Amino acid sequence: MLFDLIPFSLLVTVFTIAVIFVGVLTAVAYLTLLERKVSAWVQDRVGPNRTGFDFGQPWLKFLRGFFGLGQPLADGVKFLLKEDVVPGYVDRVFYYLAPMIAVGTALLALAVVSVGDTPVPPVLQTLSANSSSADSPRRVFPATKSELAAMNSTTNLSDVRAGYAQYNNLSTIKFAIAPNVDIGFLFVFAIGGLAVYGIVLGGWSSNNKYSLLGSLRSSAQVISYEIPMGLSVLGVLVMVGSLNLERVVDWQARHGWLIAYQPLAFVLFLTAIFAECNRLPFDLPECEQELVGGYHTEYSSMKFALFFLGEYTHMITTSFLTAALFMGGWHLPWLNDWLSPSMTGNFDLSYLFALLIKLAVFVAKMFVVIALFMLVRWTILRFKFDQLMALAWKGLMPLGLMSLLGVVISRQFMPPGMGQWGFQCAFGLVSLVIVGVVSLLLPTEAPKTVLSISRGRSHSATSAPELASRAS
Amino acid sequence: MATVLVNDIPVDIGDEKLNCIQAAERAGVTIPHYCWHPALSVVASCRMCLVMVGEKKPDGTVAMQPKVVPGCQTPVKDGTVIQTLDPKSTGAQQSTLESLLLNHPLDCPVCDKAGECLLQDYSFQFGKATSRMVDEKNTPPNKPNIGPNISLFTDRCIMCSRCVRFTREVAGTAELHVVQRGNHSEIDVFPGHPIDNKLASNVVDLCPVGALASNDFLYKQRVWNLKTVKSVCTGCSTGCSINLDTNKSVVYRLRPRFNPRAQGHFMCDEGRLGYHNVNSALRFTKPLERTNSGTQAIDWQQSVAKIDQSVRSAAQTDAGKIWFVLSPFLTTEEAWLLASYARSISPFCRIVSGPVPSHGVDDNYPKDRKGNPSTNPVKFTIRAEKCPNRRGIEAVVAHFQKSPATFADLLAACDRGEVAVAFVTSGYSTAFPAWGTETAERLGKAGFLIVHDMLPSALSDAAAIVIPAAAFSEKDGTYINHAGLAQTTEAGCVPQRGARTDGQIYLDLLGRRGLVRAIEIRKEIGKAVPALAALATGELGEHGVFVTARA
Amino acid sequence: MTAIAEKNVTWVKPPRLNLAEQIYLPSVAQGMITTLKHLVKTVTGLNATSTQQYPEQQPVLPPHYRGVHRLNRDEQGRVKCVSCYMCSTACPAHCIDIVAAPSPWPDREKYPETFVIDELRCIYCGMCEQACPVDAIELTTIFSLTGMSREDMMFDKEKLLSVFDQTVKLGTDPVRTRGGRLSVAAEPADAGLTGSSSAQS
Ligand code: SF4
Ligand code: SF4
Ligand code: SF4
Ligand code: SF4
Ligand code: FES
Repeated sequence: MLFDLIPFSLLVTVFTIAVIFVGVLTAVAYLTLLERKVSAWVQDRVGPNRTGFDFGQPWLKFLRGFFGLGQPLADGVKFLLKEDVVPGYVDRVFYYLAPMIAVGTALLALAVVSVGDTPVPPVLQTLSANSSSADSPRRVFPATKSELAAMNSTTNLSDVRAGYAQYNNLSTIKFAIAPNVDIGFLFVFAIGGLAVYGIVLGGWSSNNKYSLLGSLRSSAQVISYEIPMGLSVLGVLVMVGSLNLERVVDWQARHGWLIAYQPLAFVLFLTAIFAECNRLPFDLPECEQELVGGYHTEYSSMKFALFFLGEYTHMITTSFLTAALFMGGWHLPWLNDWLSPSMTGNFDLSYLFALLIKLAVFVAKMFVVIALFMLVRWTILRFKFDQLMALAWKGLMPLGLMSLLGVVISRQFMPPGMGQWGFQCAFGLVSLVIVGVVSLLLPTEAPKTVLSISRGRSHSATSAPELASRAS
Repeated sequence: MATVLVNDIPVDIGDEKLNCIQAAERAGVTIPHYCWHPALSVVASCRMCLVMVGEKKPDGTVAMQPKVVPGCQTPVKDGTVIQTLDPKSTGAQQSTLESLLLNHPLDCPVCDKAGECLLQDYSFQFGKATSRMVDEKNTPPNKPNIGPNISLFTDRCIMCSRCVRFTREVAGTAELHVVQRGNHSEIDVFPGHPIDNKLASNVVDLCPVGALASNDFLYKQRVWNLKTVKSVCTGCSTGCSINLDTNKSVVYRLRPRFNPRAQGHFMCDEGRLGYHNVNSALRFTKPLERTNSGTQAIDWQQSVAKIDQSVRSAAQTDAGKIWFVLSPFLTTEEAWLLASYARSISPFCRIVSGPVPSHGVDDNYPKDRKGNPSTNPVKFTIRAEKCPNRRGIEAVVAHFQKSPATFADLLAACDRGEVAVAFVTSGYSTAFPAWGTETAERLGKAGFLIVHDMLPSALSDAAAIVIPAAAFSEKDGTYINHAGLAQTTEAGCVPQRGARTDGQIYLDLLGRRGLVRAIEIRKEIGKAVPALAALATGELGEHGVFVTARA
Repeated sequence: MTAIAEKNVTWVKPPRLNLAEQIYLPSVAQGMITTLKHLVKTVTGLNATSTQQYPEQQPVLPPHYRGVHRLNRDEQGRVKCVSCYMCSTACPAHCIDIVAAPSPWPDREKYPETFVIDELRCIYCGMCEQACPVDAIELTTIFSLTGMSREDMMFDKEKLLSVFDQTVKLGTDPVRTRGGRLSVAAEPADAGLTGSSSAQS
């Protein structure tokens, strides 16, 4: 029924896709530069600082340098032009498919990512303003059956059509390819889960033991870490009552950020996305020391770059999720009203300005998460695989359950606002301590480690029979 | 039953007549020595072997002689006590080495002997680290051409006189002498009488230091880069045991390997320097096919297939017109494989031994001083039969060919035009060829001539197919010498640039799979041929085994 | 493969953790602070980076730096090497190839007819320099080595001698090993003619 209502505007969507992809790809390119810069700074180095846009031409000398801003471009050209080595023993079909899947799923997950506020269709705005629930002045979609019924009964269908037509015209800026998807972050998780296929296929089809080990590790790791991740966002779902990302942000704009309510869940979520993105300290699928390069050992040139691209896109997606789920999305405290002028009339400048501010706020929050990714890389050492698994199953899992329990209890018995907040924080802290103590008390058979092996070496001069045989 | 105590280790020497050095060696104790050599007379001139010697009386008391004695000159008997570790012995060793090094230039970095030099080894094990010499060292000039193959680095000589005794006692021609006296002694030859006898290069091996060097090997390689395998010289039917020294599949030198059953301690210069064919750039590396349109290289599979095809199609008309010639340069295993192939085609294929190159008469040493044959007991013989494996080939041919045919029969058949396919193996040394152009022409009349050889010759020019042969240094196998001693050789090199060993080609012809393993084929031969039953063990040991009771 | 005897193995147990360590988060925070400190200090310029702005800024290398090889010349400008193969024997990378020949000069017996070092294969360990009994081969402070092909990087005798000429002319690399006087070839040419060297036995 709703599908009838929404005139699908192909042009707008294609345009949005193009803009977002170009934006994301550029962002990825510059993230690699940032990553290198941050690495350099943390290690008291300078980092890339020469590649500007002079292209080696003396007359463009003034374009040299610029903190190495030309580096991503140079890297891109290098990736394109490098020899594409395909080993003779690979499984061709899957070998070629794997990077495509990796990058495809990563980009697909972006579809529901809205990097800024997505305006609510005007018709629904009026509708929700009129309808019973004062709870949501900016209700985006009918949330319940009764609401839907109310909408259907009170709204003239042609009005709705007209409203959507206006909503979909070009003058309205939407920061998502598919705005208002009801399954929201579930979609991101589902698609993100598929990304591991790219890695598994790449590792398997390479026909190389290192690659295979890398991809096996990856699949085990992703399976393990999706559970604490799911548990931590379940808390969000329970609090907000919707999977729809706009509504999650909306809720936070009104009640305060979820990071404050559920710091424990936030930490769990953060840990889990590190593992999902194969970032240090959980980059076991591609650790250079043991596995050469892990699942992408046999990939070169653009195919390698695609894996790379997929990974960084993954970083962007997950940091978006973190910002949206726990850090209030585009919301900035005390600026809420000012940032949400109602879009009742026509497109105007204040609206555009507000949108840009929100975009900036959202991007800034994502950036904080990404910066965290990069800093953690140089802070925490890589886990061993048994430690990785122990952390997921013995640490994060029980903590996730406890956290969920806390949310449920508070939601049921505590007054909204400060009460829920205080309880959830306290409960989180307590469960952290409990799990810590329990894991300390657990009888662990500490693995013995070899410290040193000494071998008896004997130095002997030329043996007597040898000398004798030479002498005669 | 005589028991000797060496450093308190009892050794039983039976009733052999040994000196202290030999007795100590049985106990695993090295008494350093330079001038003594088991094949030469004892002079006790170097004093390196000084040890304390005494006697254990029947009542258990030990009476040591008051001073050190030369171990090489002191025979042992039951109850002899040898002490190499007491201060007097070690002191004597150190002092001897110090005095030997007084005038020694110590130019080990440029000395060819370095790495296998007994002066180095003994200095390291028995010498002392410093010298008290303050004067200028004697540096007599080098004598680069005391013989066509030999240089003398005079200043490195330690005057052990092994070389002099060798030329007198084994070669008999006595070219080398000690001239001057005391500190100024030198080895030298008389003007106009260079050391050029056929055993001359043995003095290079005998020289415990780097004084005598082989011009052929001089500065070619450092010895520690060489890989040594046990091999057999293919120069004549004496079949001297040798060490084959190679590096990166290039043969650099041959050295005699002591074998009391074959030749003793030495080898002749003909054999020693006769390996150069092996490194020749002219060698075939690819099978060649000669058609009307010219000669072209074909690959191995093709060549094997073509040979097989030509032999089989000829067998369909008359297998009696197919001849296989087994050269006495083949190893017994190769001959066996090729003959088996011939038999697998048809029982009527003819298998003959290749001609045996014979030049002159057996050359016995020692000679007299003028180089003429002498009546002294023979210590070394260079045989007239210039091939290593006549007896092995004959045994194989006799096993397969009941009605005897000869190489002459083949030639006659060629003249009559009755030869459809001739498979001729060769490998003869260029110095002693087995046939001339005339024989080659006659063989060329065969309908289809297959030649298996290393180097181009008149015969290979006439062939329809030429397959490259491997050199003796490139294959494992067994040679049976004039006296029926079967010895194994080891490959020291891989065949040049993609060539294959003869055995491998024959194995491919036979359609047997895998790589050729000489030891397995040897066992096979031993089981199948009663005359060669001694090969059945596979491993023939360092000194080989006699296939017949020794004559 | 022989098994390692149990007595040769030292086993250790990892230490027990306390609660804060078991929870990880405090240590993570600590680490993050360290990381951030470095980051901030580097960005604000409080920490001097050790980066040198090569090539504008050339590195100052210690005299024992191990760069491109050179073959030294003796006083008469002849190659000092006596072709003893000690360097190629010592070389762990097997990158020195020498062909020896009788020397054309009366004061020594052997000289290198060809002497080739594969600078691409070399690991610049300096073993060759240590092994040389006549101080003929030395590593210089030339570190930036480029070539357009692999053949370019096979330094032959002439090239190695030209490195000597170049570095000596520049004064960057004085002859640095004057260790052993082991043989005639190590002596000044006139002493070498008489041939003897002081006792070293
Ligand atoms: S003879 Fe021996 S000790 Fe003398 S220079 Fe040669 S290798 Fe060195
Ligand atoms: S040249 Fe050699 S074998 Fe002859 S005396 Fe001198 S050291 Fe002995
Ligand atoms: S520096 Fe080391 S690796 Fe290089 S040539 Fe010398 S010894 Fe060989
Ligand atoms: S070690 Fe010295 S003298 Fe010997 S070959 Fe090498 S460079 Fe030449
Ligand atoms: S070996 Fe005995 S004195 Fe020379």
